[in-house]
Amino acid sequence: MIDGRALTKTFPMVAGPVHALRGVSLTIAAGEYLAVRGPSGCGKSTLLHILGCVDTPTSGTLEFEGRAIEALPDAERSRLRLLAIGFVFQRFFLLPMLTAAENIEVPQAEAGVGRVERRRRTAELLDYVGLAHRADHRPAQLSGGEAQRVAIARALANRPRLLLADEPTGELDRATGEQIAALIDRVNADGTAVVVVTHDAAIAERARRTLLMRDGTLEL
Amino acid sequence: MSTATRSLAFAARSLLRQPGRAGVGILGIAAVGALLFDMLLLSRGLVVSFRELLDSVGFDVRILSSDSLPMGGARLANASQIARDLAALPEVAEAIPIRVIDAEAVPAVGFALMAIDGDFRAGRAGRAGRDGGYEGSEGLVINQRLADALKVKAGDTIRVRVSCVSGRAPLPPSPFPVAGVGEFPFDDGAQLTASTSWARLRSACGGEGDDADMLLVASREGHGADAAVRAIRRARPDLHPATNEEIVARMQQGSFSYFRQISAVLSTITLLFGFLLITVLLTVSVNQRLAEIAAVRALGFSRGRVAADVLWQSALLVGSGGLLAVPLGFALSLWLDRILKAMPGVPTSIHFFVFEPRALALHATLLVVTALAAAMYPIRLVAALPIAETLRNEVV
Repeated sequence: MIDGRALTKTFPMVAGPVHALRGVSLTIAAGEYLAVRGPSGCGKSTLLHILGCVDTPTSGTLEFEGRAIEALPDAERSRLRLLAIGFVFQRFFLLPMLTAAENIEVPQAEAGVGRVERRRRTAELLDYVGLAHRADHRPAQLSGGEAQRVAIARALANRPRLLLADEPTGELDRATGEQIAALIDRVNADGTAVVVVTHDAAIAERARRTLLMRDGTLEL
Repeated sequence: MSTATRSLAFAARSLLRQPGRAGVGILGIAAVGALLFDMLLLSRGLVVSFRELLDSVGFDVRILSSDSLPMGGARLANASQIARDLAALPEVAEAIPIRVIDAEAVPAVGFALMAIDGDFRAGRAGRAGRDGGYEGSEGLVINQRLADALKVKAGDTIRVRVSCVSGRAPLPPSPFPVAGVGEFPFDDGAQLTASTSWARLRSACGGEGDDADMLLVASREGHGADAAVRAIRRARPDLHPATNEEIVARMQQGSFSYFRQISAVLSTITLLFGFLLITVLLTVSVNQRLAEIAAVRALGFSRGRVAADVLWQSALLVGSGGLLAVPLGFALSLWLDRILKAMPGVPTSIHFFVFEPRALALHATLLVVTALAAAMYPIRLVAALPIAETLRNEVV
């Protein structure tokens, strides 16, 4: 599904360039469950952003289902993210003026899904994450765990082939984090490839493959 | 739901997240838009109003002694003969001389005495008042203020001293019966005015006084003012005829141009304020939502989509404010018009702020342009937003 070769990412800074990725190569198969662990600043999130096509590598190549990402114009990369990749963020980033259901509808509407189908899919997803009773609540009325479950439902709205989660339990207590991890397990079990970036060893252990990052390189 | 409708609805929800800020923006644009609307009404108000005033008198050509403004140049000698010559032209229906001199009612009430054809006095220049019925009279038609000042009414007789020739001592007073009380369209709010017939003025001036300040000409139906002017120029090259349109154009180049310039300067400043207000509001809003915008970009929103959201927000703020601005501007223009009309020398029939559909269309166009321009900087911010860097900074 994803084939990244010799990926580097360098951020030019006043004090000198920062090498966030130093020649990382990895492949991710369809349906795989991969965790990336490592200390803060080791380049985990940068790698996730490049895999999710929201950033481009300084050098190296990345293919998503055989398509060279660097060659795609911005609009096509946006379309690819909309239809094939789901993002879950540490801080949820739900749109505060919309209800839980409306947040899940947003990516579907953007993808041109009709209203009836959107409503049906949204109800299905709310049921899937156990929040059917919270459909009309706004993010401010949800607990952290509930907000992250809504964010996962939103990420799954357009049936992506790849789910990327950046510290999905970073803002949650352990028990709630366990619930979110279990939900991500279920997403993977239902056929979606998952890449989780985390500090948390317990979360990483749930993945079928774990990569350790240090100073911008992968330690196998 | 179409993409545009969805985008509009999304922008509306984004705006309503901060109802206080949206309210301030809308009220700000309403105030700015009201001022802009008034400046647009002012820019052509005097021209339109003056044109209406000229047309309302019923003559479409003025004969002057030079290419100056009416009542601004030398007098025309032998005015009665000129009037007869012009009236004989097939393109001319009517030509009458008009002259305004200083007069004084005994004891010591000065006023402007207009000598003019009797039929004209009755029908047009001096609109018949409640004491009308002075057609063909040798007496005076006086305005209400003069009637009040002299404490006279129709049927009374007043003694009037006239100054027929500038620099010469006034003639002894002669009696004038008051034929009626009427309104004079060119009067200002304080002016004391009377009119009498051309013949009566000449008689009061001891046979002198066949000089006119100008001649009023009505073109014959089917010919029009331009044809009448051409015919007059052919027949009397020494005269300077001008259509009402030309008179208005001269006014526009002269004293009216100050209002147009003031209006242009204030409109520009007003638009600049509107532009800055919306730019600041949208920029603050965008800066507060950078992480959220980066997140929706990561979820697949295109650059165009997030830019459209900002553009719609700008359009909603300016559109709502612009709609409120119209009634607010109307109310404000009535108030300002009243203030400006209190200036001395301004005819009561003149308005500084006159509504025209084109002013409304221009108002809408300028606001649309402002909304677009104001959205440019925040649009640039969201379109150029580095998604990964913004998400990274938000977490750190």
